[in-house]
Amino acid sequence: MRIFLYTALVLTVVPIQTTLLNHVSILDVRPDLGLIAVCLVGFFGGELDGLLLGVILGWSQDLLSAGELWMNVVSKGGAGFFAGLAGRHLAHITPTVLLIGLALISCLSSLALVSSMKVSDWDVIWHAIHSKILIQGILDAAVGTAVYGLFMRRSVADQMAIGDRY
Amino acid sequence: MALLRSTYGTRRLAVVLFALLLAALFLLPGQSQGLLQILGGPFGQILSLPLEAFSSLDRGLSDIWGGYVALRGVRDENQQLRKEVEFLQGQNNQLREAAVATERLETILEFKQKTLPETVAAQVIGRDATNWYRGVILNKGEQDGVRVEMGVVTPAGVVGRVVKATASSSVVLLATDPNNAIAALVQRTRDEGIVEGTRSGRARLKYIPLLSNVHPGDRVVTSGLTDAFPRGLAIGVITHIEKEEGDLFQSAELEPEVDLAKLEEVLVIRAAHEATDASRKMMQNLPGEKKKP
Repeated sequence: MRIFLYTALVLTVVPIQTTLLNHVSILDVRPDLGLIAVCLVGFFGGELDGLLLGVILGWSQDLLSAGELWMNVVSKGGAGFFAGLAGRHLAHITPTVLLIGLALISCLSSLALVSSMKVSDWDVIWHAIHSKILIQGILDAAVGTAVYGLFMRRSVADQMAIGDRY
Repeated sequence: MALLRSTYGTRRLAVVLFALLLAALFLLPGQSQGLLQILGGPFGQILSLPLEAFSSLDRGLSDIWGGYVALRGVRDENQQLRKEVEFLQGQNNQLREAAVATERLETILEFKQKTLPETVAAQVIGRDATNWYRGVILNKGEQDGVRVEMGVVTPAGVVGRVVKATASSSVVLLATDPNNAIAALVQRTRDEGIVEGTRSGRARLKYIPLLSNVHPGDRVVTSGLTDAFPRGLAIGVITHIEKEEGDLFQSAELEPEVDLAKLEEVLVIRAAHEATDASRKMMQNLPGEKKKP
């Protein structure tokens, strides 16, 4: 079951990211659906699931990006792995915890990407931080928490429907 | 939720896999990227199917938006366009005169050549998958003859160059990306330089000689020094000159000729170098041209 879910995620998330998401960018920054999916799977599925989905999603993003072929493989794989670690050490994942966790992982992952670009000019790094990294962190956290909220509401509604039946 | 979490064995496997991945990518970067590239061929083809589907959905939604919702202000735009048409009609007459004169000269020199070498028409089906590059995705790839480093243009001018190609799609780095560099010259003064993208999404002509008298309004075109673009394709118009005391060169900010935010169809230049070679041969065959051994 999980493998179908992950395949569906890979085949839908990256195409949506490159096509439909261009219309919802804020200050020329779009939320990274791949990172959000990887973090959520990492949080709730564990390190291995987060890592594997991160590597495959990152690779497919790299195929459709002008950057080098390994950048998103490492950053998304790492994000999934660390999300899994974080999820294991938290007793209860609340929306607030998820919001902060997603923002942190998004910012760290973007910082790793910038440092891999071998930028030596601090002016460029500072520009990247305030014009992209922070905005993307906020967007990723907001979208990720909203998706989580939707799924939780849906699962609570399903449970209530089952309870009514009996 | 706890049931979903991994057991100790899978956790250990994840750590080992992550360490192996990092080791492979950092110790053998060339080989591991080569492997990813090879595997990316068939995977890219699979990925291009949903990509095309979502792209047509996106176009459909954009058409609905453009056709019904975003009609406000069309009257003003129409009036402005009518004025532009009148201006362009006048310019067209002048150009027709110039074209007749050029044709006459070409006949005399027996030097007829196509404006552009062989090209492949492609459709823009998406934007770069990350926020870090200004790029677009085309629906043509290696099986259509598109290769890395080929130039991409529209009838209005230069778009960028191909930086990645799978079997059925390719990624183009736009001229406004800071990682892109195109050999160019100022059309009026013939001063050469390099056009690079800026962080603000525009372009900048660098390394203009200090004594050059370039000024805002001058057009910048490709110089033809690289194989990607033949000489004379429009890149942009100079909007602002920067000349600081102590600098060895001056630089100029450009307004790109092509509206890179609204790209739909483009042409990939397949053989600029072939055309350059052909023109060189023809020049050598002209009477009066000495053939070098």
